[in-house]
Amino acid sequence: MLLFRSEEDIERWSDLRGTPRGEVMSVEQQWRLARAWFKDRLRPGYRRRTADEAEAVFAEIGLTGPFWSLRG
Amino acid sequence: MSPDRAIDRAENETDDLVRLAIMRMFVDEARPPAPNELASIVGIPQAAVEASLRRLHDAHVIVLAPGTPLVWMANPFSALPTPFEVRSGDRRWWGNCIWDALGVLAMIGTDGEVRTSCPDCGEPLRLGVRDGEIGGDTAVVHYSTPAAQWWDDIGST
Repeated sequence: MLLFRSEEDIERWSDLRGTPRGEVMSVEQQWRLARAWFKDRLRPGYRRRTADEAEAVFAEIGLTGPFWSLRG
Repeated sequence: MSPDRAIDRAENETDDLVRLAIMRMFVDEARPPAPNELASIVGIPQAAVEASLRRLHDAHVIVLAPGTPLVWMANPFSALPTPFEVRSGDRRWWGNCIWDALGVLAMIGTDGEVRTSCPDCGEPLRLGVRDGEIGGDTAVVHYSTPAAQWWDDIGST
């Protein structure tokens, strides 16, 4: 998960590496995901999310589709 | 309760204490505790700490440095410097990726800044968080690996 100056930079970087372009999200969307994902990490009793729970967090901020599926 | 379930519960409680001790030292000192420090903090033998660290590693809660009982990553933190520097006041941490770097500020609940650079053009990029709002340079986030494959090679993810 890397931060790029622009989508053109992502295209060029992906082309140079010969890797397919993945998914792009806005900084605001990434901030929402970071807040939702890590909000409980310092609490006693934290446990890792199940695939269903993790996908629900993704879906809350609009991340749906095969790329965000955790079922392989 | 069966003896096996009692052992499982005791291990879960130990693992949570070990995990919390790791996270709190990362927050306070930007580094993970060594196994002997964890033994002292949690109050259990070092062998029990190392068994707990292995369980946490196997459960993808932390990542140990290969072949060692030393914590490499406890998301969102990295024990080693990365291209994702996080600052808040005079405190500084390292995130494993842009998600984790912002996650440090989100998890602690503090204002701060993430400094990195564009992997393509090399331009320095800064994002700032103030009062729970994100701002800073114009930029976009790229995920190259589908979610189901993130833990195949977490070091490169």
